[in-house]
Amino acid sequence: MALLHARDLTKSYGSVRALDGVSFEIEPGITGLLGSNGAGKTTSLKLFMGLLDPDSGSVEVLGADTRSSPEYRTRIGYAPEHDCLPLSVPAAEFLAYMAEVSGLPRTAARLRASDVLRHVGLFEERYRAMGTYSTGMKQRVKLAQALVHDPVLAFLDEPTAGLDPLGRREMLELIRRVGREFGISIVISTHLMGDVERTCDSVIVLDAGRVLRTGAISGFVEETETLEVELVEGAAELAAELERQGLAPRLDGSRLTLEAVSGEDYDTLRDAIVDSSAVLYRLAPSRLSLADVFTPVVAAVDEAEAEGSGV
Amino acid sequence: MTTGPAEVFDLGYQPYEGGRTTRWSRRRAIWRDGIRISFGLGRGAGAKFAPWLLIALALVPAAVLVVISAFTSPTAADPDDFELPSYAEYYGFAMVPLGLFAAIVAPLLICPDRRDGVLSLYAARPITPTDYVASRWAAFLTVATATAWLPEAILFTWNGLDAESTGSWLGDNWDVVPRFLLAGATVAVVFTTLSLLTASLSSRRAYAAVATLAVLFVGSAVGGIAEENFTGPVSDAVSLASLPQALEDSVRWIFGEDLSERPLPGSVSFLWLVGLTLVLAVALQRRTAGLVRG
Repeated sequence: MALLHARDLTKSYGSVRALDGVSFEIEPGITGLLGSNGAGKTTSLKLFMGLLDPDSGSVEVLGADTRSSPEYRTRIGYAPEHDCLPLSVPAAEFLAYMAEVSGLPRTAARLRASDVLRHVGLFEERYRAMGTYSTGMKQRVKLAQALVHDPVLAFLDEPTAGLDPLGRREMLELIRRVGREFGISIVISTHLMGDVERTCDSVIVLDAGRVLRTGAISGFVEETETLEVELVEGAAELAAELERQGLAPRLDGSRLTLEAVSGEDYDTLRDAIVDSSAVLYRLAPSRLSLADVFTPVVAAVDEAEAEGSGV
Repeated sequence: MTTGPAEVFDLGYQPYEGGRTTRWSRRRAIWRDGIRISFGLGRGAGAKFAPWLLIALALVPAAVLVVISAFTSPTAADPDDFELPSYAEYYGFAMVPLGLFAAIVAPLLICPDRRDGVLSLYAARPITPTDYVASRWAAFLTVATATAWLPEAILFTWNGLDAESTGSWLGDNWDVVPRFLLAGATVAVVFTTLSLLTASLSSRRAYAAVATLAVLFVGSAVGGIAEENFTGPVSDAVSLASLPQALEDSVRWIFGEDLSERPLPGSVSFLWLVGLTLVLAVALQRRTAGLVRG
């Protein structure tokens, strides 16, 4: 069952259309909301949390219309991209307070605050003022305050912003744990395809206020699986044999590339190597990254739009 | 008996399975946080300095006057040698520390939330922007009202104890209690609403404090000039620009004092403050709702 339904969402700021009739669903798991700046990610998040009303269309989160009472937000977490922590306050006190404001009783709020800070690796530092924390620690507190009231669904806006490569890797690992071990569904809004690829189960790609593509990450990359075959000798003979078998290899010196291969293609390749007496050096499957998949698509859409508008 | 090495077991993530509170409880949490901020509780010594100093400025004179009265009244040849100020007079004196308290401390309830970006977290919580600002307003109003009432309560208590018959004195003076409660609440509501509105206009505490003091001082100057140098209905209306004077007149009217020397009746000053406060409150709600929604 989907956690979030967006139906024909349109939102404009003056003459700028931030979202243009987008529809999608978000299923349990970790979902990436991917797009460049101005694609409509932040507007989408604000609509999900009921901070904006759509010009047309509707959003249903956990079965509640976002324009109704804010009560559904007891089950929603949110970590913004920008700074949002009071620097003079200890993390434990701040999280307990946020848990109370999110609907937890006072005692439970204090216990949950310590527990969640332990899970994000800040248990020892929980009574220190947050102004003394590093950027990575602050990002962890931002994540912790989004989880402290045990939400069903948490929205994380650019959770790796400002982190060094190690911090980024640790944060993505933490988000994966939250999604897989804690059972809290996550929506990551980001412009970084690498973050989505490493962390998410599915992705919604936004571009200029429209949905470019939605679906499971595995679906995108399986479609683009290729097989690299490197030979010591007999590359041309093998290519000819594969063509006779109905495949379309691309020959580049001593290297062959087969695109969109299936399980049967591996058997065909094995037999062709034997029949052509080619000497195999290396055989390796490879997949395109999300960047390889989407960058040409986005570029093509932009080009088509530019042509359509006569630019 | 032998014991093995201690082991630490990680229970993993424990989902919360207890009940959830009502929206009133969430509002109460914000209100309680506002009170803690106002007194600097849970913060460093620096955060406690300004609020407690200003509270002391409003409170200590009452305590000192009571002590002086306690030492002088039994030995005084003439009982009129030393008289405690009236309740209305004390409000007139306490107006300065109360105004400073509101100008300097009230911005702490909104400016840091705005400067640090915390408002976006409130926006994602199961409350409305009005819940947030109303809870903050109620928090500072609680503190300001208590600060206004406490010295009056000290004076009232001492007057009762100092009377020859406390019981009959209470019977004759019971009406003072609702009067000083209403007068204190009036002063606190006006200062709270004004200072929180100016706080919502800036993320810097100092700017907000200066803006509140500017409204009070410039208004007093304009009102004073109108009252001293001109006559007629226009100057009378302009004299209401002095909020401290309008508050003092309202307080005196609440205590039933004679205001014939003033250009306008005390009831007019009181109604003017009620109307002004409502306008300021609506502006505060709209401004803060916009800030919370981002």
